[in-house]
Amino acid sequence: MSADWILSNVSVLAPGDREKHLLKDISLRINSGQIILLLGHNGAGKSTLLETLAGLREPESGSIRLGEEHLWTGKGKKRLNGTVLKRIGIALQQSESQWFASTVREELAFSLRPYQVEGEEAESRMQAAMMSVGLDHAELARDPWTLSGGQQRRLAIACLLACEPDWLLLDEPTAGLDTEGIQRLTGMLSACRASGRGAIVATHDLEALLPLADGLIIVRDGLAFEEAPAEAVHALGSASPQALLAEKLLIGKGMLDAAETACAAEAAGLWQPPEELAKRLAAGLLGNERIAAPKLPIAAAIEEVEQEPQEPLESLYRLDADGSCQASGTVMASDSKKPEDKFDPRALIAAYLILSAGLLSLNSMPKLAIGALIAGACAMPFRRFLIPLLPIIRAFFYFSLVFILIGAVSLQPLELQWSKSEPLAIRMIQLGLIMVIGMPLLALMSPIRLQRGLEQTLGWLTRLKVPIHSLSLLVMLIFRFIPLLMREWGRFAQIVKARGKSTARGNAIPLRLLPYLFIPYIRAILRMAESMADALEARGFGQPAERTTQGFKLIFAPADGWLLLAAIAACAIMLTARMWL
Amino acid sequence: MTQHTQLELIDVSYAPVALASEESNYILSGIHLAVKRGEWISLLGLNGSGKSTLLKAAAGLIRQGVRGSIHRSESGSGKPIPIVMQQPDAGLVGTTPWEDVVTLLERQGSPAEGLVQRAEQALREVGLGRRMHQPLETLSGGQKQLVAIAGCLAAEAPMLLLDEITAMLDPGMTAIVCGHVRRMHKQGTTVLWVTQSLEELLPGDRTVVMKDGRIVFEDSAGSLFRRSAPNMPDSPGEREGFVPPYAVKVAWELEAQGVQLPFIPLTAEQLAEVVASYVR
Repeated sequence: MSADWILSNVSVLAPGDREKHLLKDISLRINSGQIILLLGHNGAGKSTLLETLAGLREPESGSIRLGEEHLWTGKGKKRLNGTVLKRIGIALQQSESQWFASTVREELAFSLRPYQVEGEEAESRMQAAMMSVGLDHAELARDPWTLSGGQQRRLAIACLLACEPDWLLLDEPTAGLDTEGIQRLTGMLSACRASGRGAIVATHDLEALLPLADGLIIVRDGLAFEEAPAEAVHALGSASPQALLAEKLLIGKGMLDAAETACAAEAAGLWQPPEELAKRLAAGLLGNERIAAPKLPIAAAIEEVEQEPQEPLESLYRLDADGSCQASGTVMASDSKKPEDKFDPRALIAAYLILSAGLLSLNSMPKLAIGALIAGACAMPFRRFLIPLLPIIRAFFYFSLVFILIGAVSLQPLELQWSKSEPLAIRMIQLGLIMVIGMPLLALMSPIRLQRGLEQTLGWLTRLKVPIHSLSLLVMLIFRFIPLLMREWGRFAQIVKARGKSTARGNAIPLRLLPYLFIPYIRAILRMAESMADALEARGFGQPAERTTQGFKLIFAPADGWLLLAAIAACAIMLTARMWL
Repeated sequence: MTQHTQLELIDVSYAPVALASEESNYILSGIHLAVKRGEWISLLGLNGSGKSTLLKAAAGLIRQGVRGSIHRSESGSGKPIPIVMQQPDAGLVGTTPWEDVVTLLERQGSPAEGLVQRAEQALREVGLGRRMHQPLETLSGGQKQLVAIAGCLAAEAPMLLLDEITAMLDPGMTAIVCGHVRRMHKQGTTVLWVTQSLEELLPGDRTVVMKDGRIVFEDSAGSLFRRSAPNMPDSPGEREGFVPPYAVKVAWELEAQGVQLPFIPLTAEQLAEVVASYVR
């Protein structure tokens, strides 16, 4: 049976940033069998809220229940509740790019697998799902990638419907759909509601979906507010449907009577049909003594349209003084120097090489202890860059331990001999220390400064026809590309986990689901690379000038001198230790 | 080509070279279009109508398979005009807006003298003055599009060629980006604005509608849904398959009731404006 969502004091933190709340202290009750719209600008937390309901994000505090069942169970180490997951179906944004199988039928079967429905039952569910999204039954044998964009979006929804969930969670389902596709979607949503199921839909398309809605949840800066659909225009401002906005503006100009409009709108649903509104307006314009003024020439009328200051609507989409969106990203004080601009990349690399040489010269465990102290002292000021990399350090540690153990095994007699693996241990510790002091390096230099360092140091190589400038652009592109690759991976991992009803926490992906992730992921990155190449060429990166120029140059500053001096001093201590100990 | 014409396409057709033997493979055919200095042109069309291809051909990015003649007034250097495209994330290099624009200028061989100042000036012009050293991933989609536009400004592009730059943005960000570009236009920038969204047009925009690689409508946006007589569904907008927004339907009804409107409004604001101006 369908059940209500009950959220109490749910907070969600940004991944990797324990200070930043994506959702703050949200308490909501969402009644079963209703269609609820989630509204708010991009980045306000709509998608986060949907993903939290679907168990794809773990709340930092608070509880989420579907009826009597908790989404997260267990006291100490929390685990996801599989029975709740099976009662919901989520379609993330752009979920049409998720296909891995060679036929539509296999895709549907994969979505059904966690439900252990087979044979006749599965077949009839697939057919019903296909029918309710308006896909022909013959398409079951087709390759999903050969469907049109709109059909793929419908298939994504069919995959959810086949599972017959109590709740549909949809993120931007109308984006990229044509009018017909949107009508189909609204029809499907009404049918779901009629059969007692509910839907929570994050959307900007109020024109299409507001008439369906039983309630609105407005998400702003991580907070959620409930609102009645009829009140939407007050909260939505310029994003509200034209009809509501037109009524409001016309009432504001005294062209319409507020009370009368409210009556008419209530009689007709949310807003009055265009004919009604026109009739009311025409009566005012043509009747009374207000005889039509001579027509304004077009140009003058346009001028007025442009210059009319926007009414300060209390709106979701508020602007701040410089015309950019307040809620999207915080402004950093421009005078604060970024940490990565403090040192010259050349000085950093030189210092790194000097320290590494010192560490490599230490050839016994006691000497390495001194080396470890020095490396620790060097890494100390930059420890906050190391925190996200701790898993790598830990992995290296275990990895080395295994090697050292294997190295210590002697077969006759079977025992562990420290003397055998001591050289290996020394090597691994040296490498480990060099790795740790190298880790903050990338955070300390921005790609453009690294590129400039390369050009200034190796620029003379261009005379030998070494394409240093192209290489240095490549460095910048790699810096740009890697975060995008990781983001795509995260996105597909979520899609696959949602479809596979995986109860794994956090970013972990069960091994059994990995194969279903690779194919769509590889396709997505190929497509991304293509669109990047396209966009870069269009912006003018495609045609490098004969001679590139340098708008700024790196200058060796006193801080760089001190850095180098410190490195040399540390290296000297290590060399002395090697000589005298 | 007169002095004020910045871009002129005369009888331009295009088909990918391998497919040029058949007439039906033409993505563009018989395009005539002249863009004057300081003009705003809205280029409207559904998916696959050829509007992006037209933009690329006009910019000089398509090197093979284009027939007819394309004149660009500032094409002395032969450099293509930059285009900003849909995907906010795709076209940017570097980790901050500042790095992106500086790198772009350097790659294009812009004189080193004052390069950084020009980049910063362009970023200030698009309203990113306070955010130019902020990491790109903390910017919204619309702000990323503004960074790309700043790149065009800094590179002294003769005009802004903008290909559905609001397609991936939410309504609030769309309004902001539109507002910025409109303001730049008022200050004299030539703009070719490609879109699928009727709500981004102003009634006075010179509007070009494309379908199947041809220009099928060229007039002001305010007459896109102008019917020849009340209740005759024969407006160019309807003919080309655009869904009339609510404001258009109200305007049609008003005309049917005998209220003559100077233009057919496309948005609620325009509707309120045209009705108010009627009374005065």
